[in-house]
Amino acid sequence: MASPVSNGAERHSGSLIVVRTVDECTSETFVRITADGSVSAYNGHVDLGTGIRTALGQIVAEELDVSFARVVVVLGDTAVVPNQGATIASETIQITAVPLRKAAAQARHFLIARAAERLELPAAELSVEDGLVRGHNRSVSYGELIGGETISLELADDVDVKPVGDYAIVGQSVPRVDLPAKATGELTFVHDIRVPGMLHGRVVRPPYAGVDAGPFVGTSLIAVDESSVRDIPGLVAVVHIGDFVGLVAEREENAIRAAAQLEVSWKPTPTLPDLADVETALRANPSTPRTLIDKGDVNAAIAGAAKPIQRTYVWPYQMHASIGPSCAVADFQHGNIRVWSGTQNPHLLRSDLALLIERPESEIEVIRLEAAGCYGRNCADDVTADALLLSRAVGRPVRVQLSREQEHAWEPKGTAQLIDVNGGLNADGGVAGYDLATRYPSNAAPTLALLLTGRISPEPAVLQMGDRTAIPPYDYDHMRVVAHDMPPIVRASWFRGVSALPNTFAHESYIDELATEAGVDPIEYRLRYLKDQRAVDLVHAVAERAGWTPRPVRQDKDGEVVHGRGFAYALYVHSKFPGYGAAWSAWIADVAVNKTTGDVSVTRVVAGQDSGLMINPDGVRHQIQGNVIQSTSRALMEEVSFERGAVAAREWGAYPIIPFPDVPKIDVLMLPRPDQPPLGVGESASVPSAAAIANAIFDATGVRFREPPFTPERILRGLHGDAAAAPQALAAPAAAPPSRIWQNPFAKRSGIFATIAAVCTAAIGIGAALLPGRAIGPIARPDASVYSAATIARGQQLAALGNCAECHTTIGGVLNAGGRALETPFGTIYSTNITPDVETGIGAWSYPAFERAMRDGLHRDGRQLYPAFPYTHFSKTSDADLQALYAYLMAQPAVRATQPANTLAFPFNLRALLAGWNALFHQTREFKPDPAKSELWNRGAYLVEGLGHCSACHSPRNALGAEQREAYLAGGFAEGWEAPSLTSLSHAPIPWSKAELYTYLRTGQSRYHGVAAGPMAPIVRDLAALPDQDIRAMAVYLDSFNDTPTNGQTPDALAAKLESATQVTVAASTGARLYQGACAVCHEVGGLPLFGSRPSLALNSNLHSTTSDNLVQVILHGIAEPASGDLGYMPAFKNSMSDAQVEELVTFLRQQFAPDKPAWTGVKETIARVRSSIH
Amino acid sequence: MTQTPIRLTVNGRIHDIAAARETPLLYVLRNDLALNGPKYGCGLGECGTCTVLIDGSAARSCVIPISGCVGRDIVTLEGLGTRDRPDPVQQAFIDEQASQCGYCLNGMIMTTKALLAINPRPTEQEALAALRYNLCRCGTHVEILRAVMRASGQLTEAAD
Repeated sequence: MASPVSNGAERHSGSLIVVRTVDECTSETFVRITADGSVSAYNGHVDLGTGIRTALGQIVAEELDVSFARVVVVLGDTAVVPNQGATIASETIQITAVPLRKAAAQARHFLIARAAERLELPAAELSVEDGLVRGHNRSVSYGELIGGETISLELADDVDVKPVGDYAIVGQSVPRVDLPAKATGELTFVHDIRVPGMLHGRVVRPPYAGVDAGPFVGTSLIAVDESSVRDIPGLVAVVHIGDFVGLVAEREENAIRAAAQLEVSWKPTPTLPDLADVETALRANPSTPRTLIDKGDVNAAIAGAAKPIQRTYVWPYQMHASIGPSCAVADFQHGNIRVWSGTQNPHLLRSDLALLIERPESEIEVIRLEAAGCYGRNCADDVTADALLLSRAVGRPVRVQLSREQEHAWEPKGTAQLIDVNGGLNADGGVAGYDLATRYPSNAAPTLALLLTGRISPEPAVLQMGDRTAIPPYDYDHMRVVAHDMPPIVRASWFRGVSALPNTFAHESYIDELATEAGVDPIEYRLRYLKDQRAVDLVHAVAERAGWTPRPVRQDKDGEVVHGRGFAYALYVHSKFPGYGAAWSAWIADVAVNKTTGDVSVTRVVAGQDSGLMINPDGVRHQIQGNVIQSTSRALMEEVSFERGAVAAREWGAYPIIPFPDVPKIDVLMLPRPDQPPLGVGESASVPSAAAIANAIFDATGVRFREPPFTPERILRGLHGDAAAAPQALAAPAAAPPSRIWQNPFAKRSGIFATIAAVCTAAIGIGAALLPGRAIGPIARPDASVYSAATIARGQQLAALGNCAECHTTIGGVLNAGGRALETPFGTIYSTNITPDVETGIGAWSYPAFERAMRDGLHRDGRQLYPAFPYTHFSKTSDADLQALYAYLMAQPAVRATQPANTLAFPFNLRALLAGWNALFHQTREFKPDPAKSELWNRGAYLVEGLGHCSACHSPRNALGAEQREAYLAGGFAEGWEAPSLTSLSHAPIPWSKAELYTYLRTGQSRYHGVAAGPMAPIVRDLAALPDQDIRAMAVYLDSFNDTPTNGQTPDALAAKLESATQVTVAASTGARLYQGACAVCHEVGGLPLFGSRPSLALNSNLHSTTSDNLVQVILHGIAEPASGDLGYMPAFKNSMSDAQVEELVTFLRQQFAPDKPAWTGVKETIARVRSSIH
Repeated sequence: MTQTPIRLTVNGRIHDIAAARETPLLYVLRNDLALNGPKYGCGLGECGTCTVLIDGSAARSCVIPISGCVGRDIVTLEGLGTRDRPDPVQQAFIDEQASQCGYCLNGMIMTTKALLAINPRPTEQEALAALRYNLCRCGTHVEILRAVMRASGQLTEAAD
């Protein structure tokens, strides 16, 4: 089959089409054959990644007797394909392919009749091969038969289609036509559409994440502050209509930035139903009962049961979880509106779009392109409407890509479901009665923009879709099934298997329980009630394939890991009640359950299916395997989390899906039924999944689990009761609170200001000698040419050592021009301009003025400088070095720039008091080497204590912001980050060594400690200017403060021990799952090497520290500017994880990777503080 | 932000990119260089759909700024081969029909490429571990694993 290249139906000299007339002016084409022999087939459904395009091509090629390669299948363009409704319910092959098949057969009949006439032979004596009709050594092609004519046939109902026995193409496995292009990046997904002049849009969604009903929907926006994005380059428009907020920019990354930065104020969302307890929420949701079947006398039968059994099954909210967040492009031109969309239902979407923008449908063309698999209704329609609104606003084509967070939060969920079964056993072990009530709070999820803009009412519709396979496949004498139709609680719509999967979970769990109670083998018990012969055949075939051993009585299993096997069967019944069946499906699942950890592995699944005639058997096999894997994932690990009623899961850590190592071995058994009509295979194999797995877990453990997902926590609760599942409390005592002087010296100190004032006042007397603060006269800007290039270069190195630029440059600003806001506990200080501009910088500063500033902390004009400028360190610098530094600074380009005024609280705004401060804490003293130490040590000391000013951050500070001399390098705080201790007080699990200090300072990373982040990253970057020998000297000096014993273990041995002891093998908590989904890819020991470093969390100093600050910093803000690009980057999770999730993650990481350390306290407060800090 | 163009080497060709230095590589590959292979999946490096090779290692282009890519060798899916001349890894994925919707396929192929570069004959366990953090929602894992084994010459003909 030819791959789809163009959706336009090209016209050659003549053509034959088969059409269905809809009304006087509309007809729909199913098949077109042109005079050049090419064949186009049109179907109203779309390929959701299941391979429908290939299968439809096979059907058409077969019925037309042309080669598969000749057929182009056109899907999903409203301008050319028939309206056959939404691509749902596995209907394509079963239902929408029927007219296509007939159309192809009809065309063949017509052409053969014409050939018979042309060749003057009876039709029965003709054969066709790839569109060439032959008979008695004569032949004529379809193209020749069509010639220049335009032939239009009205699609007939009573067309003879080929007998199955004649099939040559249908029933053969054919490779998918789309895969070569997909594997080489040549296929155009909707995400890849580029239209000339296209702009990039992003939307900003309201705070009621994932909720689409209630009076607040569409009415919660208070204001959008457009000035908040004024600095975004290429911003084209900010658009808001009701609660719809979007923006458009020339470049995508700028649209993303703008969406993150846009300040939008919303009304508080009213209290939403608490979804922590799904069962209660569903029972409380208003509903209308609808009886689907009421057979026999259920009440009497259950009343008379020898053993009544009443059970409740709870299904969680789940996500479609498309791998690609939805995307669309819209081009709004008057009278000609085109959208490119990944929709499941192009025609229905077109109606929605027409309603949204109040234009007739005839002006709108929806072009459907392939998208990420959706398995139901995701945000594909929503984003198309978003793009249209933005395109209309700017009059240009706009592409909108939803973020991962938006797709997770707003996709219509596969709904939670609640199923109550009442019934029981008769004395003979037979089923007494079966009374099932199912609650399915879901609808079709209206296109979001319609709701957000107020075009439609946010009153939720009630859809009758809870009835899929609600009637069990078993012929119970007394049976009643009631669907309690109800509106959604959160935005929800169909998801693979729809209500049939949860309903079957109830049917198949319940009958398994009855079999156990009756002491009958579970398969044998089912067969007593299963009357459908094809079902019976399938069950037998699957049991045989799996080697099922009948087990009337469950055997108890010994050991920590117990194995079990479970069976389940289902016929997926879809479409409007009573609907019809798709493929029959049966599972035998094998599980291994670890009774200590609660971990469940599905080790093998035998999945049997009767799909009727299989168009493309390989395609069917892939669908079955895909269903098995996806539904195993759903049963084991998938559940949407909510906070205050809104969707909380916004990335893959909070909503994990099955990873490769957890995929079961799958044995697919496909019953050959070539004589039976083809059935939908897109969903059936999912339907028995959860029940088969639950039944296997019961076989393994003897415990019934009636609420997926079967997470370790839930298994442990089931096995051992609530107590066992409670998080293990750590025995270690809480550590003394860390010294946080620099960050918040006044915490819990009363009267501190009075004390400071008193101390300072007293100190003024002592410090009088320093007070004069005379001005040093200005000079003409020195001519930099008097300095040698070598001196300037050396000065540049020293400036790097001192990290001058770090404080004296604003982010993205001109080097050394000042103005950077430095947050101190005493207020905000703005750094000064140290370029040689005469008026605003230091251009008028003589060397003595510069030296005095560096050594005594005095401005040229005599003012005291604040000790945020670390002159207490710089004073140690040698004259020669200061001169070189002066030379370098004066040789820079002069930049005119003034900084804002400092905003310091009283009494710190009184500069004069600093004289007292200096008297108390400052010694103007050049560095004096210690003759008892090595030259290298002394060099290191000079660098570290002087310009390097390491202890400015790494030493604790007293109440007045001075370094505590008795706690030199014992650890401090700076800019919201902990600067860890560099002495023996270090909490690093592996002691620092000279070699590691050197490696860290040189590369920004130590294998045994982690990477430089926060304020340390730019320091390492700056140190790159220093020669190796100086870095070595610093390492030698710093190492002399560290005498932690290593107990004879090499760091490697210690690292291996720590890493193997802390491996994450089971994800048994929210925190653990967040780690696996978000962190492990880059941090797991031994993972596939990725670009950048792979910091080991077990060895990371931050995880072993007494405070969580640095860990919280990197999780929330990431590492965007590492010390070196070689280290790679870490994304910021602040917009993807809630505070509660970060707390879970941080708590888990601490417990997992620093198990010998006490749990951190105040993590919640730290998260709040770090989140709100300027970054 | 700077307006100085950033020079990138992608699939053997040099491009000067006029974008802010912090722009994630993914958007430049897709929007400036019109490469469709790398896909946006999560923006957090979690799912792997955006994977490219940087200096031969698998790299999640959604979290790597272009400033970090200067002077490095970037290869995308398009740089491996074409429909007419696919790379052996691409061919193995086609042969095993190792894709359904195809959205994750880029990441699967590029990660396999990076794996085989350092481990030409991985065991199944090693292959599973290497692909552990590439997410697939369609459930194509079985076919993908076979494709990896085929690409490493350990599976010469399709079973069944």
